[in-house]
Amino acid sequence: MKLKKFATAALAAGMATLALTACNTATPDAETTAEGSMITQEAVEGATELELWTFVELHAQFYTEMAEIWNEENPDKKVQIAVNVLPYDDMHNKLQIALTSGQGAPDISDIEAGKFPQFTQGTPALMDLTEAAAPYRDDIVEARLDLFSKDDALYGLDFHVGATVAFYNTELLEAAGIDYTTIKTWDDYQEAGAEYFEKTGKYLGTVDTSAAWQEGLLLAQLGGEYFTEDGKVNVNSPEMIEALTILKGLQDANAAAVPPGGQPDTEEAFGAYNNGDFAAAVMPFWFTSRYLAYMPDFAEKIAIAPPPTVENPVNISVGGGGTGTAVMKDGENAELAAEFIAWAKLGTEGNISTWELLGFDPLNTEVWADQEITHNPENKFVKYFQNNPFEPLLEIQDSIGHLESFTNGSMPSVNNLLNTQTLNDIFENDVPIEDALNQAQSDLQNELGE
Amino acid sequence: MTASSSQVKPLDARLSGDEVTEVGKNGRQMSDEGRAHRRRSIGRTALLVALFAALAALVLIPFWAIFVATFQDGNMIVRYGLNLGIDFATASFDNWVALFTDSGSYFRWFFNSTVVTLLQVVLTLAISSFVAYGFAMYEFRFKSALFVSVILLMSVPFEMLMLPLYIQINDMQLQDTYTAVILPFLAHAVTIMFFRQYLRGIPKEIVEAGRLDGVSEIGIFFRLILPLTKPAFAAMAILNGMGSWNNFLWPLLALRSPDKYTLPIGLNTLLTPYGNNYELLIVGSFFSMIPIFILFMLFQRFFIEGMTAGAVKG
Amino acid sequence: MRRMLYSPKVAPYIFVLPFVLTLAIFWVSPLIKSFIMSTQDIIPGSVTNVGLANFERLIGDRLFYVALGNSMKYMIFTLFLLIPIPLLLAVLINSKLGSDRIKAVFKSVMFIPALTSVVVAGIVFRLIFSESPTALMNQIVGAFGIEPVKWLKNSETGFMALLTVASWRWTGVNILYFLAGLQAIPNDYYEAADLDGANAWQKFWHVTVPQIKPTLVFVVTISVYGGLAMFLESFMLWGGNNSPQNIGLTIVGYLYRQGIEKNDLGYASAVGVVLLIIVLAINIPQLIATGTFKKEER
Repeated sequence: MKLKKFATAALAAGMATLALTACNTATPDAETTAEGSMITQEAVEGATELELWTFVELHAQFYTEMAEIWNEENPDKKVQIAVNVLPYDDMHNKLQIALTSGQGAPDISDIEAGKFPQFTQGTPALMDLTEAAAPYRDDIVEARLDLFSKDDALYGLDFHVGATVAFYNTELLEAAGIDYTTIKTWDDYQEAGAEYFEKTGKYLGTVDTSAAWQEGLLLAQLGGEYFTEDGKVNVNSPEMIEALTILKGLQDANAAAVPPGGQPDTEEAFGAYNNGDFAAAVMPFWFTSRYLAYMPDFAEKIAIAPPPTVENPVNISVGGGGTGTAVMKDGENAELAAEFIAWAKLGTEGNISTWELLGFDPLNTEVWADQEITHNPENKFVKYFQNNPFEPLLEIQDSIGHLESFTNGSMPSVNNLLNTQTLNDIFENDVPIEDALNQAQSDLQNELGE
Repeated sequence: MTASSSQVKPLDARLSGDEVTEVGKNGRQMSDEGRAHRRRSIGRTALLVALFAALAALVLIPFWAIFVATFQDGNMIVRYGLNLGIDFATASFDNWVALFTDSGSYFRWFFNSTVVTLLQVVLTLAISSFVAYGFAMYEFRFKSALFVSVILLMSVPFEMLMLPLYIQINDMQLQDTYTAVILPFLAHAVTIMFFRQYLRGIPKEIVEAGRLDGVSEIGIFFRLILPLTKPAFAAMAILNGMGSWNNFLWPLLALRSPDKYTLPIGLNTLLTPYGNNYELLIVGSFFSMIPIFILFMLFQRFFIEGMTAGAVKG
Repeated sequence: MRRMLYSPKVAPYIFVLPFVLTLAIFWVSPLIKSFIMSTQDIIPGSVTNVGLANFERLIGDRLFYVALGNSMKYMIFTLFLLIPIPLLLAVLINSKLGSDRIKAVFKSVMFIPALTSVVVAGIVFRLIFSESPTALMNQIVGAFGIEPVKWLKNSETGFMALLTVASWRWTGVNILYFLAGLQAIPNDYYEAADLDGANAWQKFWHVTVPQIKPTLVFVVTISVYGGLAMFLESFMLWGGNNSPQNIGLTIVGYLYRQGIEKNDLGYASAVGVVLLIIVLAINIPQLIATGTFKKEER
């Protein structure tokens, strides 16, 4: 038996060595800026440490800056934020697994709107933030809270409204003799696009195959949804068919084409935009930050306008995308985390910072009306865009809709199918719209077991 | 050398495709044929070398493409794709400078990968050779059943075990440790198979002699057998090293802290539109290949010798 | 106690113990769990037994068949590309033609791609197959006057890209496996064949192939497995698990999508169970037919 013991001991020793090495190499790294790194705020004495996950590096900066202001205002409950920036997919997957297995979750995490419904299935591991949000609720665009609510509980707080707007490259359009301010409807958009193509051989807009921003916008304008009222998949609804018919019409008239990367918010598409291959983008408001970061050459040439609409739209615009910041309810310091996050995401300071640092349209519409903030000539976004970015926002302020569908637990599956299969069928392979949508409907019913 | 050797011994040109010509009918004809044969052989050799050169060039193209890309703007590469040209107007060493001065956790990941790979190779080889010896040299109950399970193990998709294994690792309090990354692969089926084949080629007389000399069974393995298996170790070290250095999915699940990431996971984190790290992605990807190339170049002689010796024999 | 150290009866158990332990802890136990989970509906906070409902769902799931079809297609094509071609190259390397030095360099060069991580290979090929007209593949077809192709958006060209990556990475490895088998063939066999007046083709077919059968079996076994379980190549080539029209979706990719991306562990486990059954259904008859199991009973 001795030998068996020896072998087991050897194995155990091997494991111990491993564990030791693992510990040795686990000393936290110094502050770094690369993705996949921890960004830790400078040590604060007597502060409660909160671990936070996000998939956007800039968000990390936002949280640490907010924590510093918080600590000044609340010396009795200081926080120290350790932000872990992970790639989009990894972060959501890891959070999902951590919550499912009940181990290793952070205190706070950003969760992208498209992924959010997955995290509120069953008994959510997220904390109900209703109470924490109560003091700020009055000035907040309610639809953006609904987006992260389920069964009267509020599980996430957004950064922005993400109102879908149109971005026009005025230099390119003027050269082709097109005045963007005359574009009001999708018909106008198509006409302008066709004319632009005739004159330049290039495209005005995009039809996307890997994202459904424009489909969401059109559904809101047409009063449609991705699901029936009792929550069943309904992607071949008349509204959906009409929405895609409008978009397909753009493509057929050469007013729009599929951009490289499949949608404007990709590196490949930024390349095409920089080449001047496309002159407009109908995207959520946060696309402002992409212009600044990836298309610096277009400074003072991009104008923002309300999106093209259908006749008599139910809503003119819709909130697109979003990031719900959630607090894990089993976290040791969940209460404090909730209080901090509600203040940072919904309070005035946070909302100003959201605009100034990130270029988002903040949730608190009081900020929209504050000229000192919105027209600050030093602001890099104010400087970049030709018109004031808040102009179109104020114009559509009362008509920014919300799709109930976004909170449906099956929405991630719908998104996934549209963005991998259906939109490609329609825009790349010319599958008739109804066929593609019927196929999508039956695929989804099968997949979801409906 | 080949041309002349095939001239001298045309009969032994076994796989060269040379047909055995009717020889000896008459002397003059034979010498003519010899010359023709020689010419043909040179032609074939040239053809072969050309084929090899073409294939080698084809295989090396991607390396060249990423090499020239390290001197270009990373965002441009992601936008416009890789090609073989180098635009000297915009080329610079910026990426390389950034790699060594401002690459965040890159070298930490590099170090982590090195540690994980070394540990995994050493432990896997030790354990797998140990196990393989048991299979190769002894008869015992359940041997067939166990050996069949080794073979079947090669057919179980690890991905299917990933999720329950993840839960199990958590239950064992091993999450976010290298132990969790390495442990499941220690008795590696392919490696066991390979060692077993290799060890079966070693004469059992050595074992018998050891027994007669009063060496214990374990002692025989360590003192008499191991020294004979060096080439097998070299081959398996490279194969396992490759596997570990490049392992992606399981470490991605098992590790959580960015400062514990291995290189492939770290590199993958750079591939995101939210971080603007494409420069580092390109130059980092290229640089990550260098150490394993160097190791391969240093040990390739042993490697090929080992692979040959451990050939899966009937 | 001490006797055991010296007993050839006990020793083998000691030798195989680490294998049995790892097998039990890290393979059998999760495997069993996987089977159990495949009959459950698992949502956070509640687990319900649903019997075979997950499998019923699977039968009606078109995307699962897409994944299954892609994996099968990939496996079959890789078998066609990665068995005959490396075997032929190995035979050429093993022949008397050409200098040894050149052949050694060739062997090494062919093997080098296997040393690169799939992550890196995926990134490189993704950018080579980029739809931009300035990317390498489009430059090549452009030289023939063909318009830029959206390589990774069409199922044929996307699949071609996938096979390119596979061939690039694995040809060299299989050459080495075959070479190892070839070099173990005694020379006498060929000499005997020469005496019988066999031509090169006959020698290849009647001497080489039967002699390297064990190597062939081994390579086929790992290729079947590797082909059916392919995931990472596709994942990296398309920069994620969601390729356009799911042209790169594989069985493991679907398992990953359902289990990790959608957190439907029960359904994902059912996908895994089906995958295991398919791999075994192909490999076990193959191993029995080639006598790999029998050998051990000797």
